[in-house]
Amino acid sequence: MALTRPRLTEHHGIFMPQASLQFAIPFLCEDLPLYVDPFLLWKSPSQQDKALHLEMVNSFNHLGYMAKKGNAEEAVSQLIMGSECEEVGLGVSARRQGKRISRYQAEEIVNLFQRIPQYDQRGFHHFEEIQFYIDGISRDRISDFACNFIKSFLIDFTMDECERLGIPLEDCTVKQFYDPAKQVFLEDVPHRLPVNPESGRPLLLVPKRWLRFVPWISFDDYFKGYCPRDEIFNPGEPQTHIRVLNYNRDNYGIVEAYVRERERTADDCKSDPLFSQLPVISAKRKLSEILKLATGKSDGADKRYEDAVVQLMASLMYPHLDFAEDQNRTVSGTHIRDLIFYNNRSHPFLKELFDDYESKQLVLEIKNVHAVEREHINQLNRYMAAELGRFGVLVTRNALPKARMQDTIDLWAGQRRCIIALTDPDVTQMVELFESKQRLPIDVLKKKYVEFRRACPS
Amino acid sequence: MITREEADQLEKLMGQLGGIHGELAALSKKRPSDAVNAFKLKFVNAVLLQCNEILGADYSPIGDFQEFNSDDVPSNSDVTFVAAQYLQALEKFRSDNVILFQGRWLYDLPKNTPEMRASAPAKLKK
Repeated sequence: MALTRPRLTEHHGIFMPQASLQFAIPFLCEDLPLYVDPFLLWKSPSQQDKALHLEMVNSFNHLGYMAKKGNAEEAVSQLIMGSECEEVGLGVSARRQGKRISRYQAEEIVNLFQRIPQYDQRGFHHFEEIQFYIDGISRDRISDFACNFIKSFLIDFTMDECERLGIPLEDCTVKQFYDPAKQVFLEDVPHRLPVNPESGRPLLLVPKRWLRFVPWISFDDYFKGYCPRDEIFNPGEPQTHIRVLNYNRDNYGIVEAYVRERERTADDCKSDPLFSQLPVISAKRKLSEILKLATGKSDGADKRYEDAVVQLMASLMYPHLDFAEDQNRTVSGTHIRDLIFYNNRSHPFLKELFDDYESKQLVLEIKNVHAVEREHINQLNRYMAAELGRFGVLVTRNALPKARMQDTIDLWAGQRRCIIALTDPDVTQMVELFESKQRLPIDVLKKKYVEFRRACPS
Repeated sequence: MITREEADQLEKLMGQLGGIHGELAALSKKRPSDAVNAFKLKFVNAVLLQCNEILGADYSPIGDFQEFNSDDVPSNSDVTFVAAQYLQALEKFRSDNVILFQGRWLYDLPKNTPEMRASAPAKLKK
């Protein structure tokens, strides 16, 4: 059985929590739903980030210069080449593959330099502004352009991080590489980078500090709060964004005012975390919801219990265990594991689980039942194989009945497999610890493990 | 009969344990199942170990309990409960080692040792 939602680090046996790394750990099978926001580089106090932003904007403006000098065809081709950056794996693709923009879109973008006099004279200050004029250009495309223009830096950053962590580098070919000296995209450039073991394609790491879910300068934000709708639309007319795009082309002043406003409020622009813990008040609410739920399946109580436990556990275990996936199906589709974490071994107890039970990932089975039955134990036992190791957690409402407890002890005695039950009082204590910060919530899991081991034959 | 050093140690421990009990009882009323952090637990265990030494097996309040295990994530109410048991045991030990002499309560010390005032046994105070 392979790892669930494998990440680059775990694949190479490097177990570091996301919180302790400078870059977003890429998934091997899918994209990370975050984007590089060029505005974060612009507002960064770091001279390096500012220089990279300048480099990115200059490179983009160079396309306008090329068009102005009668080389529009080349500018369009360059823009198309720079419109997709698969190596960084950001976006919403489920297969780490994306498409380049169409020729028509690229021509429209290049035409902006002639269509809008301010761009013709001084170029773009924030090339995210192309969202305001071109249909189909959104955060993913802005992020891809940004990554492609500073790919040289990203390659160096990736090599440095990989060498530091011990991730192997391989000879590979980067599809498009922007040469800052020649100011052109080169195709199929050989490099030494980490590769995706499944596709053999190179991977690039991106600093976490540049990532946001939505760019600070965003068309959606502009459409919602800044564009003068009463000027654009007649009363009762459907408010389509195409009309806004056309309006913007003839009214650059409105866009400029919006961008100035966003620059003025730049202090509020922060990178988005890859995982946000629930606030304490929400955690307590979730706990209260759990405690009020009846056992069984009536009124969808089982589903509500699962949802609440998944959200709660993901926050309680952070940053020691990174959330991997909930409702994960096995390859055959016959089993659905309720909740899986990456075991980063960042806590002595988690290291012990890895060493003793070979748990590269941790599986939690959630059962909203009054009393756990033999089948529930057997079900979790079936999941505990290969990468999930021989350790599993059963999150349930009440303590295991004596016979079921004996089943788990027998499993340990016979096969050295360990099943721990976390009950309502345990979850309550975890939430208390989450709030008071006197101990780590994960210590409760350790406590249950220690209690279990004491009950096992020595 | 106890030695002067034991009497000094007993008074010191009763004071420390009384302090621990008071602090944690207050916390326990507010958040009984919240855990005691590692720093406090280390201090509580140090006091309990000294109590065990002075009480010996005869006065030990809770079977073979010696100290808290940090892995058990003891809660405020757990520590309050145990501290109360130890306070009772220390008082029993103290009561058995004080005498009423000419209207004053004194520790029952070996001969030729300067006398040491003690308070009356708690059960007589009530």
